[in-house]
Amino acid sequence: MAQQANLGELLSTLDSPVLSERDEVTAIFKENLNADRGPMLVNTLVDYYLETSSQQVLHILTTLQEPHDKHLLDKMNEYVGKAASRLSTLSLLGHAIRLQPPWKHKLSQAPLLPSLLKCLKVDTDVVVLTTGVLVLITMLPMVPQAGKQHLHDFFDIFGRLSSWCLKKPGHVAEIYLVHLHASVYALFHRLYGMYPCNFVSFLRSHYTMKENLETFEEVVKPMMEHVRIHPELVTGSKDLELDPRRWKKLETHDVVIECARISLDPTEASYEDGCSVSHQNSARPPPRAADVTASPHVDPQNSFGSVTSTPHSASRPMSSTPGQPPPPLSSPAPRLSAEAPQAALWSPSLVCGMATPPTSPGNVPPDCAQPYSKAFGASAGGKGTPSGTPATSPPPAPPCHSDDCVHGPCPPPTAPHARKEERTDPARPCLHRQHHLPNDRGLEELPGSKELPLSDLPGFLGGLASEEDSIEKDKEEAAIYKELSEITTADTEPLVPRGGFDSPFYQDSLLGCPRKTPSATAGAQGTSVHPESFNSSLDKLGPDTPKQAFTPIELPCGGPDESPAGSRERQTPPEPRILTPSPFRVPSQRGAGLSSGQPPPYDHLFEVALPKAAHHFVSTKTQELIKKVPGSSEGAWVPSASPLEVLDRLIQQGADAHSKELSRLSLPSKSVDWTHFGDEIRTLRNQLLLLHNQLLYERFKRQQHAVRNRRLLRRVIRAAALEEHNAAMKDQLKLQEKEIQIWKVSLQKERARYSQLQEQRDTMVAQLHSQIRQLQHDREEFYNQSQELQTKLEDCRNMVAELRLELKKANSKVCHTELLLGQVSQKLSNSESVQQQMEFLNRQLLVLGEVNELYLEQLQNKHSDTTKEVEVMKAAYRKELEKHRSYALQQSQRLDTSQRRVLELEAQLAKKDHLLVEQKKYLEDVKLQARGQLQAAESRYEAQKRITQVFELEVLDLYGRLEKDGLLRKLEVERTEAAEAAEERPDCCNNSGSGPVRGHSDAVSGHNGETRPPRPGSTRGGGGSGSVGSGSSGSSSGSSQLSTPEKPPAQRAGPFSSRWETAVGEPSASIPATVGSLPSSKSFLGMKARELFRNKSESQCDEDGVTGSGLSETLKPGVDAGVEAKTPLSPDGPRPAPPSPDSVGQLRIMDYNEAHQEHS
Amino acid sequence: MTEDSQRNFRSVYYEKVGFRGVEEKKSLEILLKDDRLDIEKLCTFSQRFPLPSMYRALVWKVLLGILPPHHESHAQVMMYRKEQYSDVLHALKVVRFVNDATPQVEVYLRMYQLESGKLPRNPSFPLKPEDEVFLAIAKAMEEMVEDSVDCYWITRCFVNQLNKYRDSLPQLPKAFEQYLNLEDSRLLSHLKMCSAVSRLPYDLWFKRCFAGCLPESSLQRVWDKVVSGSCKILVFVAVEILLTFKLKVMALNNSEKITKFLENIPQDSSDAIVSKAIDLWHKHCGTPVHSA
Repeated sequence: MAQQANLGELLSTLDSPVLSERDEVTAIFKENLNADRGPMLVNTLVDYYLETSSQQVLHILTTLQEPHDKHLLDKMNEYVGKAASRLSTLSLLGHAIRLQPPWKHKLSQAPLLPSLLKCLKVDTDVVVLTTGVLVLITMLPMVPQAGKQHLHDFFDIFGRLSSWCLKKPGHVAEIYLVHLHASVYALFHRLYGMYPCNFVSFLRSHYTMKENLETFEEVVKPMMEHVRIHPELVTGSKDLELDPRRWKKLETHDVVIECARISLDPTEASYEDGCSVSHQNSARPPPRAADVTASPHVDPQNSFGSVTSTPHSASRPMSSTPGQPPPPLSSPAPRLSAEAPQAALWSPSLVCGMATPPTSPGNVPPDCAQPYSKAFGASAGGKGTPSGTPATSPPPAPPCHSDDCVHGPCPPPTAPHARKEERTDPARPCLHRQHHLPNDRGLEELPGSKELPLSDLPGFLGGLASEEDSIEKDKEEAAIYKELSEITTADTEPLVPRGGFDSPFYQDSLLGCPRKTPSATAGAQGTSVHPESFNSSLDKLGPDTPKQAFTPIELPCGGPDESPAGSRERQTPPEPRILTPSPFRVPSQRGAGLSSGQPPPYDHLFEVALPKAAHHFVSTKTQELIKKVPGSSEGAWVPSASPLEVLDRLIQQGADAHSKELSRLSLPSKSVDWTHFGDEIRTLRNQLLLLHNQLLYERFKRQQHAVRNRRLLRRVIRAAALEEHNAAMKDQLKLQEKEIQIWKVSLQKERARYSQLQEQRDTMVAQLHSQIRQLQHDREEFYNQSQELQTKLEDCRNMVAELRLELKKANSKVCHTELLLGQVSQKLSNSESVQQQMEFLNRQLLVLGEVNELYLEQLQNKHSDTTKEVEVMKAAYRKELEKHRSYALQQSQRLDTSQRRVLELEAQLAKKDHLLVEQKKYLEDVKLQARGQLQAAESRYEAQKRITQVFELEVLDLYGRLEKDGLLRKLEVERTEAAEAAEERPDCCNNSGSGPVRGHSDAVSGHNGETRPPRPGSTRGGGGSGSVGSGSSGSSSGSSQLSTPEKPPAQRAGPFSSRWETAVGEPSASIPATVGSLPSSKSFLGMKARELFRNKSESQCDEDGVTGSGLSETLKPGVDAGVEAKTPLSPDGPRPAPPSPDSVGQLRIMDYNEAHQEHS
Repeated sequence: MTEDSQRNFRSVYYEKVGFRGVEEKKSLEILLKDDRLDIEKLCTFSQRFPLPSMYRALVWKVLLGILPPHHESHAQVMMYRKEQYSDVLHALKVVRFVNDATPQVEVYLRMYQLESGKLPRNPSFPLKPEDEVFLAIAKAMEEMVEDSVDCYWITRCFVNQLNKYRDSLPQLPKAFEQYLNLEDSRLLSHLKMCSAVSRLPYDLWFKRCFAGCLPESSLQRVWDKVVSGSCKILVFVAVEILLTFKLKVMALNNSEKITKFLENIPQDSSDAIVSKAIDLWHKHCGTPVHSA
């Protein structure tokens, strides 16, 4: 709470008149803001500002740092929602935005923007709308990418407001509509400049509707006529232009310039891309085509000085400046000279030349007549002068002219001028329509208002203000009023003596002077000047007719067009010229008796030479001037305040003064026209407000331009530097070229020398060559000669050699012949001696032959016997030796053979061994094989045995049964033969003897098949006994069997046959006989059968052998052997094979039997 | 195996991929090509590998001594066998023990009885337990071997072979318990808890060699081992049966039910059982290696 109270206190001290205190408090606030991040302080400040609209608070708020921006925006958002605080909030927002705070990009996201848009869509207050639209227009270039979301809101707003311009719903004051129109035009420009495709499509869609058609025709179409085709319309697309990338490259001022560039308004259009140049040359045709009256405006200004004067004269009658007419007349000429060649304007000398004369009052008019920018002093005639400026004239639209024409009273050429100048914005038919009424009224009122002495004006204004205060919020402005009244009184005081109608203007101009100079020095720009002039005119016009009150409205509209144009067109010239007026102004002031006169004739040169120094100089000058103004209380703060602030303040104060005056005035005339004044005052206040807004907007634009200018200037400087560099390079190039040429010349010289030397050398070489050739020739000749000589020498040598050979031959021949001769002679002598010897030898031979014969005879007689013996012996020895030798040879050969034999045998032995092993193996193998087979056979045999057993069992079984049957039958038979048996006792005894034996054997066989041996006999016996038919014959047959040699086989077969027979049950004696005879017949069948039987029952065979009579015992081993011999053979071969041994065996057996029988 | 070194190097992969018996068949063919067949090698082979079905009858006959090791005498021996068979059959027909309507299995039984001298006096005499065993084995064998002579002979010799094991058969239940304990002691304890250990169908398993318990296709693989002289495989088959049906056996807690279940085990997994049993056998008893 304490803090809050403290805050309140601080806030109240914030606006204290003491400068230091104020600064302190401001510093404290800033500190607090830095320290505190909460929204509280900001909120309080905003509240306070809305209450008091304190400049200091505004300053603080607009320079808020990052963390507080949100609070500020929120707070503003809150207040925008409320209708009461909306206007002031919007203006605060405008202030804040125009300073381009670092947080401006946040605006697009802030809720403030939508609410602003909403308010623009809904609100019906023109002042609020205009302010809002201007804020929006200012904001748009800063947040271009926000357009994506809100584009249609913008368009809707445009559509709404444009229709407003035409339809003006209800109570809206027409005066406001002019402002509205201006802002709508600006909005149009901005939208068209930034989003052409979308905007055009919006226009197309929106204005194709019938109800909007009129609006289009009346409002939008004129606007459209003043813009070029946007290049984006051709190259871009709806989406492309909303692309944030497009905006990333552009800064705020770039966007602004971009928008300005598409304007056909020469004042609006940018100068930099040659637009203004083309405008001067080619911008004429469009207006000319559009309107014939347009051309005069352009032409007159340049060519006809008289024409330009005419507007002045035309307007002047209305503004009634009697002293002015002559100067404007003279003005065209210099101005022409200044304007025609722009380059000339640049040169300071020319400016100097023009500027030097100003001391003479005659020069004043030209200066003031030239551009508005420097026409502060001439602002008394400002009304006229602006009209004369060519820049304004091109844009006028046909309606405007027609309207002007309708205006009638004024002369056609002049009136348009005036009006065109007034509303440079051509597309305002409504304005013109509206125009008439105020005009008329203004005309009526003119005298009244004019009658007001300027000294009264402050009072009048004060009255007005107080009145308004009562209506609005006088407390807020109380402080300002006070100050203002002071200022105005201070200003007006010197003017008072002047009085009259002119005096206000002069006073205004004087008023403007001290204030303008700072502004001029600060910005040195047309805009700053323009508001000034407009201000002065406003001051002047305030009491004037409403029609003239229009001009201030127009001016801001036109101003932005004109003044920038003016300033741009002569961007550099204005500066000197701005200065130039200062000397002139001084005289004017001097003339007014204000200043003691400080005509520094070369001040402007400072400006040209040292812009900053000049600025400083001028500012000091003005300060001095201001200080000199007696009783000027502003002196305390003026230096600290920036010129812009001063301007703002001036406007406000002007408004305050105005209201004060009005109130003062109204006090006496309260009864007279209270309501009328109140109304008017309000409209005036609002107008003022609107103007202020407009002004701020234009200032913002100017700042953007300034920023851009700075950039361009940097570029220019860079370009200049590059040019310098280029020039330097060119110089260097030239130098180098010169050098090159020098080198070329020397090169040529060198070449010539070189060629000379070459020639010399060539000649030398040729000479030497010829010499060489000659010498060579000589040498060859010599060579040939020597060769010839050599051949000759050779020939001679050969000759000598031949001769020598011949000589040798001759010599040898001689020698040879001599030798031959000697030999022949020797041979001759030899042959002679040989002949002699031969004769001698022949003789000797004869003698020896005789002797030989003699000896031969002796020898033959002596050794004839011994030689023979020896020879014989030798021969014998020799033969013997040979014999021995051959024997030895034989022996050795035999040895060899035997050895060989041994080896062979050994090998054979090894082979045999091997073979033996193999054989063994094979044998083993075969054994195994045989064993396998044998096993199989054995198992078979085993099986057979089993089978036989089974059979035997079966047989025995059957026997058992049969015997049972036999017994039964026998018993019957016995019973029947009982009588007969009694008669034959022995037989009976015999039977009984055999009976027990049989019974015994039966029992045995019943028990075990193995114990059969006794059985066959017994069975046979049994059979014998059993045979019912012939008991005695059976026994006899048995004896006969024993006795007959053929019996054994029969016996052997017997058991079987008998068994068979018994099985069949046919005990006939004839059959066994036949069976027994079979084997003896030795037929194949018989043998086969026997074999079969034996095979099937070997054991029985054995038993047979055993069971037989005593003879059979001896028979058994034979049979056994036979069986054994048979068994291995039987698997091998066919059955027929065995019979032979078998038969032999049998035969043998029979033999044995016979033998036995014989033995027995 | 002497051929081991020359075996196809791919054999490792064959086994990995699951083609068993590609190599075995070849080596068996090599073995069978020898004149004078090496019975020991054949024994080892049939213990180590499953026999290819096309050679099974031949190998069995050789191993059981129905055929001698010499190829030359095969024909003749076989003829003997055939004759013996027909003689015995004839004899049986003569003594009217069998007629045409008698089932083949009974014919085999009578023949066996006749050959072993145990033929009862009357065909209507009640059958002894060993006759039942013979019948079961003959029945299984009938499925495996087509020719009736072969079938009779193989059955006969197989039964004889089993009779040779008579000494070791009583120890098999003990071995069974021991291996079951090694493999799954919980199961054994469960069985013991149910006092089913002593009541397991040992007769079916060890005397009949699972004839009638396992389907013939799997059974013949077990019998391969039995024929080649190992009756221990029976133990492992039994163990594996229990392991395979462990869950079911565990679920039963009555010894009678267990026995009943084990006597009629489902036949679908028998192949796997046999394979696992053989693996188990190899694991516990080691892979038989030819000693010679």
